[in-house]
Amino acid sequence: MGRVMAEDAFEAVVGAHHAEIRRYLLRVTARASDADDLSQETFLRAFRAYRALPPGANLRAWLFTIATNLGRNHFRAQSRRRRAYAAVALEAPAGAPDRTDGRVLADEARVRVEQVIGGLPEKQRLAFIMRKMHELDYAEIGTSLCCSEESARAHVFQALRKIRKGLDSQLSAGTEPRS
Amino acid sequence: MSTMPTSCREIEPHLLASAMGEATPDAVELVRTHVAECRGCREDLTRYRAVDGLVDSLRRAPGPDDDATLARAQLTSRLADLRSRMVSFGIFPSPLGPLLIGRSEMGVALVEYLPASGSLTTRVRRLLGDDAVEDRAATEGLRAELIEYLEGRRARLAWPLDPRRMRSDFQRRVLEATAALPYGAVTSYAGIAVRIGAPTSFRSVAQALRWNPLPIVIPCHRVIGSDGDLVGYAGKRVELKQRLLAVEGVNARPAGDHDFRVHREAMYTLMNGEVEYCLPTCGSLAERPLSELTLFGSRERAEAAGFGPCSSCRPDLHPLPA
Repeated sequence: MGRVMAEDAFEAVVGAHHAEIRRYLLRVTARASDADDLSQETFLRAFRAYRALPPGANLRAWLFTIATNLGRNHFRAQSRRRRAYAAVALEAPAGAPDRTDGRVLADEARVRVEQVIGGLPEKQRLAFIMRKMHELDYAEIGTSLCCSEESARAHVFQALRKIRKGLDSQLSAGTEPRS
Repeated sequence: MSTMPTSCREIEPHLLASAMGEATPDAVELVRTHVAECRGCREDLTRYRAVDGLVDSLRRAPGPDDDATLARAQLTSRLADLRSRMVSFGIFPSPLGPLLIGRSEMGVALVEYLPASGSLTTRVRRLLGDDAVEDRAATEGLRAELIEYLEGRRARLAWPLDPRRMRSDFQRRVLEATAALPYGAVTSYAGIAVRIGAPTSFRSVAQALRWNPLPIVIPCHRVIGSDGDLVGYAGKRVELKQRLLAVEGVNARPAGDHDFRVHREAMYTLMNGEVEYCLPTCGSLAERPLSELTLFGSRERAEAAGFGPCSSCRPDLHPLPA
């Protein structure tokens, strides 16, 4: 039956894309447990909607869109929680998670890049990760973020400018002072 | 400064695109010409390239938590669970009004009589949950066989069943005993109670059949009251029971305003446990409770079910009037 075929095909979709989507969500959330949960949720949603997908659809971009939406909802929920905690003074507002916890990266510049990426505004950060870490094109990124291709490009460029600024101190060593 | 084809401000986005390796050839050329003349932008380009290189090394560096094995295994198990619970359904017209058939991975999970009018969405959601998907293709074969059955062109629906909508072990036993009733035969609720070894539980049997998730397929219409009254079916739609029985050759005549009755004197009669069917007047059969009997509307049905004519009352030589 058609259904069975669709399910077999979905196995292949999981096989082809799960690791990458999870890696994307790991970069987005910086927490393995969140990446696990959200990547599972991405594929469960995809499975429910899979049969309604037109043939020849861009599956990878579609999965990135679902993952991006889940990631953004996750952040919204997180910041709501933080605000709620702060409001009742149960706990001081949490700072950015320690993204380097347990890591020993020899290259401090890379750590700095990650920190700067982590501190970018949400859309810039997501656009930058999709473009530079996963090489999606701007049209796909635009679809994921519900914005135009041009806005997607602008987000990525703006992210790059900020990363560069954040790195200036480290990178300026060895380059000539600007006249 | 010498001739500058483009201002620094204008060149900046092209510079970024160049550093990331995604500029058009024209833009690359524009940047090349510009930075040849402009040291500040040349330095910018160098920095952006360095940044891009760092980002690139980040992309290639495996993270410490980059092991998807566990998440993948959990996903596989959750998908399997979702699939097994997922029901595809079809809704279609039938001689008995609109019907819904739902099937899961395991088999047919649900047959439901739908109201002839009104919104179905809420009802379907309530019956099947949010994960149900309408899929005519997945239920088309079932639909075709069911229609054949309802038109009397098919005596068996040999479908794999999904028993998970059965509510208890008791109900499962009741439904199994009911499914074993031959085509064209009837017995009483107490008869099913006897068959499952709980002879006093006929009221519970009636309740269990009332919640039969698979009417028609599991032929609860073949179970009637001890006095021959059809009693109830699909809520208050006892006329559906009469029609289903009529398709199988069991005639129930109107009895009172709202019911029909199967008259024992018009039925070939099998004493449970025997291998020969009789005329209803054979021996002491007429005094036996229906729970000990199975009634057939015709000799053909009794014989199709594997029973032979009684050698003393000879229903084959003295058939009941049609």
